Amino acid sequence: MKTVKILGSGCANCRKLEAAAREAASSAGVEADFVKVSDLKAIMAYDLLATPGLVIDDKLVSSGRIPTQAEIRQWLAG
Amino acid sequence: MDSFLRLMNGGAGNLAAYLAAHVLLCLLPAFFIAGAMTALIPKASITRWLGRSAPCRVSYPAAAAAGSLLAVCSCTIVPLFAGIYKKGAGLGPAITFLFFAPAGNILALAYTGSILGAEFALARLVLCLLFGMGIGMLMAVLFWRDDASHDAQTDALFSVQASIGPAATGVLLSLVAVLIAGTLKLWPLTATVGTFNLPIPWVEAWQATLFEWVPFDAAQGEEGVSVQGSLLIVLLLLIGLTAWQGLEDIVEGANRWTWVALGLTVATLLVAAIKLTPGADGLEVALTGRALAVGLALWAVLHQARRLDADAWRAWLWEVWRFVKQIFVLLVAGVFVVGVVRQLIQPQWIHDLAGRNDLLANAVAVVFGVFMYFPTLVEVPVAHMFLDLGMHRGPLLAYLMADPELSLQSILMVASVIGRPKTFAYVGLVAAFSIAAGLMYGAWVDGVGGVWIAIGLAAFVGSLVALLGWLLGRRQALAHA
Repeated sequence: MKTVKILGSGCANCRKLEAAAREAASSAGVEADFVKVSDLKAIMAYDLLATPGLVIDDKLVSSGRIPTQAEIRQWLAG
Repeated sequence: MDSFLRLMNGGAGNLAAYLAAHVLLCLLPAFFIAGAMTALIPKASITRWLGRSAPCRVSYPAAAAAGSLLAVCSCTIVPLFAGIYKKGAGLGPAITFLFFAPAGNILALAYTGSILGAEFALARLVLCLLFGMGIGMLMAVLFWRDDASHDAQTDALFSVQASIGPAATGVLLSLVAVLIAGTLKLWPLTATVGTFNLPIPWVEAWQATLFEWVPFDAAQGEEGVSVQGSLLIVLLLLIGLTAWQGLEDIVEGANRWTWVALGLTVATLLVAAIKLTPGADGLEVALTGRALAVGLALWAVLHQARRLDADAWRAWLWEVWRFVKQIFVLLVAGVFVVGVVRQLIQPQWIHDLAGRNDLLANAVAVVFGVFMYFPTLVEVPVAHMFLDLGMHRGPLLAYLMADPELSLQSILMVASVIGRPKTFAYVGLVAAFSIAAGLMYGAWVDGVGGVWIAIGLAAFVGSLVALLGWLLGRRQALAHA
């Protein structure tokens, strides 16, 4: 069971990222718990310069962009 | 019913004027540049100058550069602001970044220039840059204790090094060339290279129909819809439809519609750059120097973009599309509403309130700017409306400085990062500096010499520093007592 956090204040890119992450998880057959983090202090606990941020099992894997399905699947498998 | 029709006509007329060729020639390239900056400039190439150990003479200009190059939307502004404040160079540069971002980014600059004139855009840029650094430094002096308390934090965030690749630089430079070729009002761009006639018999009737649909009053500075304008509006609608199919999932790769949408964008820019005159025997097409220059610059963009790797150009196109969805739609709605509202405002009111360049007029403009919240870029058509209605350019600049910097939304955001006392100090300083900027620019417009304006600026900064020194002294005296 993976924990996937989406960091962002609810902008267009954050919604897009969440959809991409959910799609990647279901296509890879990985069971994951999705958490949306919109509180600024909680977001800034991670080292990122732009939202949206993608956190998998408490590790920041990407920020400021929307990764491809292949990338997300790889991170979920790792 | 009549007055309702009049209002709708006002909105439609305003929209038509804003979708005119010269606005699109500036706005379309600006969107592509903004997207390229977000996707192709690695943030670390600028943020590495914003670490805690960076000296002031590096960190303040770097903060302004970050505001100008990296921050087009709140996705970057908020985290970068909080990051610089908590983990990097501190409160001063963070404030400079926050203040300069809404005025110094390419979209705001290009749009201000094309609607209100290049001189006004330059005044906005220079004054925001100077005052952004000034306010940042004042905040840093005022709350010096606060930065000391952050020294325990790691600044690993700002130690990453990166630089912009050659292909990305090429794309950015050739996009800027498109923008310049499209907007500069200089020979040989304005020259006509050759003309030919398209035998379309219904074109004159179509122009008459357009004027009938959107009536306008030339005496009030309104513009009607030309044949060229109607063609551009159709092209924009087609871009919207095809981009929806072609760019929504661009991150996973391009499809047929992607290329159609991009082709239509190129066509729009080229149509906007030529001159179309409807006549009795058809449509006269005049090939201008501008059209050739825009075509050449677009070719350069294409040539450079082919050197980008797949991830980079996909991310670039995605960011462009996201900005268009996020900003352009609201901008179109905003321009329509501004056109409607304009019909309701008596020029006399504006003339009485802000027709002169004095302290009261500038203060009124700033207060209006703080309490009104307009979506990104809509502040520009609002400013244009006030200018048409007789507002002096000084208070207009004061409004344009205060409005995007201070809205209820941004004040709440700042408060959640730096706390209330500092937010109040920031809001106060921005209001004071905006009024001062308006007074100075207004004096410049009225023909007052540069020396007097410099003396005024020195007196303003001097009195501010004296006031702060007195405040600090009092506080220290209180602390010792």
